[in-house]
Amino acid sequence: MRYHLRALRLELPALAEIPLVEVCELLPSLGFPVDGVEARETDPILDVDVTANRGDAQSHRGLARDLSARLGAALAPLSHTALAEGEALFPIRLEADACPIYATAILELGSVQATPEEAVGLLGAMGANAKQLAAVDASNELLHRYGHPTHAFDADTLKGALIVRWGREGERLVGLDGVERKLTAEDLVIADEAGPVALAGVMGGDATKVTASTRRVLLESAYFDPRVVRRMAHRHGLHTDASHRFGRGADPAMAPVARDLLAARLMAWAGARLVGAWTAGALPGVRPAVELAPGLLNRIAGEAIPLEEAELWLTRLGCQVARSGEGLQVQPPTWRHDLAIPEDLAEEVLRLRGFDRLGSALPPLEGPPQPLESGYLQRRRVAARLAQLGFFQTVTYGFVDPEEPPLGDEAAGRILANPLGQEYSLMRGTLLRSLRATALANLAQGAREVRLFEIAPTHRATPAGPEESWTVGLLWAGQAGGEDPLSPVRSLAPEEGRAFLLGVLEDLGAVAQPVPVAEDGPLGWMVELPLAALPAHSERIIPPFRPFSRFPRVERDLSLLVDLAQGYRELADAMAASLRACAGSAFQDLRCVDVFRHKSLPTGRQAWLMRMRFQALDRTLTGEDVDAWVAAALEAARAHGAERRA
Amino acid sequence: MDLNLLPLEIQEAHAAFPVALAACDELDALNRLKGAYTGREGSHAARLMDLLKTAPKEQKRDLGAVINGLKQAWEEGLKSRQAELEAARKQVAGLAAHWDAELPRPLPARGALHPLTRVMDRLVDVFRPLGYHVEEGPEVETEAHNFDGLNIPEDHPARGSADTFYLNAHPGLLLRTHTSPVQVRALKRLAPEITARGGIRFLAPGRVYRKDEIDPTHSPMFHQVEGMLVGHDIGLHHLKGTLAYAMKALFGPGAEVRFRPSYFPFVEPGCEMDVRCPLCGGAGCRVCKGSGWVEILGAGLVHPNVLAFAGIDPAEWSGFAFGMGVERMAMMLSQTPDLRLFFENDQRFLAAMGGLD
Ligand SMILES: [Zn+2]
Repeated sequence: MRYHLRALRLELPALAEIPLVEVCELLPSLGFPVDGVEARETDPILDVDVTANRGDAQSHRGLARDLSARLGAALAPLSHTALAEGEALFPIRLEADACPIYATAILELGSVQATPEEAVGLLGAMGANAKQLAAVDASNELLHRYGHPTHAFDADTLKGALIVRWGREGERLVGLDGVERKLTAEDLVIADEAGPVALAGVMGGDATKVTASTRRVLLESAYFDPRVVRRMAHRHGLHTDASHRFGRGADPAMAPVARDLLAARLMAWAGARLVGAWTAGALPGVRPAVELAPGLLNRIAGEAIPLEEAELWLTRLGCQVARSGEGLQVQPPTWRHDLAIPEDLAEEVLRLRGFDRLGSALPPLEGPPQPLESGYLQRRRVAARLAQLGFFQTVTYGFVDPEEPPLGDEAAGRILANPLGQEYSLMRGTLLRSLRATALANLAQGAREVRLFEIAPTHRATPAGPEESWTVGLLWAGQAGGEDPLSPVRSLAPEEGRAFLLGVLEDLGAVAQPVPVAEDGPLGWMVELPLAALPAHSERIIPPFRPFSRFPRVERDLSLLVDLAQGYRELADAMAASLRACAGSAFQDLRCVDVFRHKSLPTGRQAWLMRMRFQALDRTLTGEDVDAWVAAALEAARAHGAERRA
Repeated sequence: MDLNLLPLEIQEAHAAFPVALAACDELDALNRLKGAYTGREGSHAARLMDLLKTAPKEQKRDLGAVINGLKQAWEEGLKSRQAELEAARKQVAGLAAHWDAELPRPLPARGALHPLTRVMDRLVDVFRPLGYHVEEGPEVETEAHNFDGLNIPEDHPARGSADTFYLNAHPGLLLRTHTSPVQVRALKRLAPEITARGGIRFLAPGRVYRKDEIDPTHSPMFHQVEGMLVGHDIGLHHLKGTLAYAMKALFGPGAEVRFRPSYFPFVEPGCEMDVRCPLCGGAGCRVCKGSGWVEILGAGLVHPNVLAFAGIDPAEWSGFAFGMGVERMAMMLSQTPDLRLFFENDQRFLAAMGGLD
C-alpha cells in the first residue's frame, strides 16, 4: 500500500521531526516492511506492506496510530463536527445482519465544485486522479486518510426507500465500471424500490452514480461484515479499494464519523447545504474483553514484563485496560478485529516494545533426539553415490504436458483443474520424460556427454487421489571422454551406454532395464525405478568382518574364440559355475577384460580375453591346482562353442 | 632330481614357487619371496642346509645334488624376475622423465548434487545437533491439512483457484502451497507420544506449488524447509535464539539478522526474519530494494488453535514454527541472479554449483 509521508505527518505531527530513513526503520519494526520509496528527495511516497490481519492500518491515520503508540506521541485531533441528526427523510431498512449500521445524510450541492490542492495531491500520490466531483473526490480522500469507505448516490435517481438486503436470483446490476453482473442470494445489496443500486461495500451502481449534473447527494457510511464482502469481491472478481477495507474489517464506530467528515467536505468544497442526516441501525455490541495473564506474556517474551508496561502499551493502542486479579482485562478498540485471544495482546505489547529487545536462547532438550527416517537417509545416500559416480542431479517440475490426449482413466486422475497451462497440467507418473527433455536441452547447448539423475516423487492415480512414490531416474547420453589427453573423445557403441547404466544400477544394488532416450534421436539410455526397489538404509555403521587371504593371489588369462553372436552373460555364468565347482572358495572372479575383433580371426568369430582370479584362505596355491581349474573353465566354455585361441 | 628325498612342505613350496614368483609385480614383493626361499636364515634353503648337515652319510651325496638343483632353480627364477621388474621400472622412470606433470590428468567423471539439495541437506545438518529429525508429507494434500488445520479460514484468498492448484477429479485435493501441512500431519501423529518424547522438534524439507507465472523470481514449483518445535514454556526468545544460530551456521559467524512482527494465520505472535543483504552488505541495492535487508523466513509461536486441532493441549504445550524458501536462500548464498536457472538444469550450472566457489 502507498502512503504519502506528508499525509502521515498531518495525522502524527511528531513525525515531522523524524527523518525518512528512520521512518523506514520504524515501520518494519512495527510489522510494516517498506518495499520502496518514491520521490525520496521531494515528496516521498512509501510503499508499505500491510499484512492481511491489519485492515485498520490501511489508511494514513491507521498507520499513524501504530507509530503514535510506539513513539508515545499524540495523533492530530480529528477535525470533526458531528452533524445534528433528525428524522429519517425516507426509510432505510436493514434486512440483513451483515449490515448493522448505516449512517446517511442528504445534501444539496452548490453551483461551484472545487477539490482543494491538498486533496488532489493526496489522491495523486495514491495513484488516483481527482475527478473534480466533490462527492467522489471527498469520498476517496477520506478513504485513504481514514480508511473508512463511503459512497455518494445521486439522490434524485433513487426511487423510494433504501433497503440493505440479500440479492435475489435473476437480479442484475450495472456497476460504476459499466459491467453488468448477475446477482445471487449471497450478494449483499443496497436496493431501492426498483431494485439493487449498489453491491454493498464493493461497488456502487452506474444508474445512481454522482455526475456533474447531480444536484442532491445521498451519503452512505455503513459497516459491512468482512466475510460477506470478501466472498462477494471474490465471486465477482471485483477487488476495489472499498472491498479491500471492508473485507479486512472496517471500524463500525467510524460509520457516523465518516459520514460527518464527508458532509463537512461537501459543504467546504461544493458549498453544499445539509438537508437532513440520520442513521439506521446501531453500532454492534462490544466484543468480549480479553484476559491477559502475566504468566502467558512472560512465557512468550522469555522474561518478566512489568504489568504496568503492558498496560501502557495496550492503552496507547486504544485498548481499555483494567486490572483483573493478577492480570489485565483488555477491551480492544473497535478498529482492531484481530485482537481476540491473549496471545494477540502479548504480541501487541512485544511489538510496540520492539522485537529487538527480546532475548535470545536455545530451548533445552526435553527428551532424546529422534533418529532420521530411513527413507530420507536412503535418498541422501543414493544421491551422494550417483554424484560420486559422475551424475548431475536435476530438479524439474512435478507437472508435465499430458502430450497425447485423450488420456487413459488412470492419468485423468492426475490432471490439475486449474493449471498454469497445458504443458503443466499432469502430475507426472514418470521421471523419464523430464530427464529426456533436460538431456536434449543440454545436448542442444553443446554438451558432449550428459549424465543426469533425479530423485522425486512420481504419482499414480487411485480412487482416493494421486498416490506418490519416491522414484530415482538416471540418464546417460552423448559421447564419452575427451576432457584430458589420456581419454580421447569416442562415440560409444549403443550397448556400451546401456552397459554403463547397468553397471551404475549394480553399484546401487538394483536391477532394471534401461530404455533408449529416443528411438530416432541422439544416442543415450535412461532408466527409472522406485526407491523402494533399492537396498534400504542400514543402521549398521560398518559391515561385518569377512576373513581375507594373506596368501598370494593368482591371475590367469584365457583367450577364447567365440561366435560374434555369443551372449556374454551365458558364457561367463557357465565358466564361473564350473570354476566354483572345482575351486570352491579359492575362485574369486572371472571377467572379460578385452574384446578383440580382427580380420585375422576366423570369419564370424571374435576373441574374448577372460581373466580369472584365484586365492585360497589357507594356503599358497600350486601351479597344478590352477592349471586344472583353468582347464575346467575352458571345458565349460567349449560346451558353448568357444575354443582356446592359439 | 628325486624330490621325494625332501620333506613334504619343501615339495609343496617348490611347486608353488612359479605361481608366487609370477605374482610378484614389485621389487619389494620379490625381495620378500627371495628371503622366504633363499635367505640366510629361516628360509627353505636354510632348512635344506640344516637337513643336509644332519643327513646320514650315505644319503648326503644324492641329497646334496637335489638341494643344489633346487637352490639353483630358485635363484635363477628370482634373478630373471628381478631383471624383468627392474626393466619395467626403468621404462616407467623413462616415461616419467618425459612427462610434464602439468598436463591434465585423467580424473574420474565428476557429478554433483543439485544446489537446492545441497542447501536443504545443510539445513538438516545444521538442525540435527539441536535434536531435530526430518518429517515429510505428500505434495498432493487435502484442504484440511493445507488450510483448515493451519487456522486458515475458508474464505482466505490463498485458497482460491487463482493461487492454489486443485486436482480436477478430486475437488478436495490440491498441491500443497507450503510445507506447513507437515506440521499438521506430524503433530497429529506424534500427539499421543508427546509426553514420552519430551516434546516435538523436526524439519520438513520439500517441494511446494503456487500458481505463479515463471519469471526471474517466481516459479510455480519451489522448495521450502519448515521447522517446528513444541515443548514447555516456549517463547519468542527461543525462536530468536534458534534462528540466529541457524543463520550464523549458514551465512557465517558475522551474519546479522533482525526480527520483525508479521502475520501468518497459524502462528501468534508471528514474525519475519531479515538478514543483512549479502550483495551490498547493507548499503542498499536492487536485491534488497535499497533497504539493506533481505527477508529470509517467516516464523512465529504456534497458534493455540493449531495445537488444539492436532489434539495437543495448548495450556501445557507451546512451540514455534518457521518456514524458509530454499531457492531464495540458494540465490543469496550463491548470488545466482535468476531463479529459473535452478530448474533449467544446465550441466555447466550444475557442475559449477557442485563446487565450493
Ligand atoms: Zn542489498
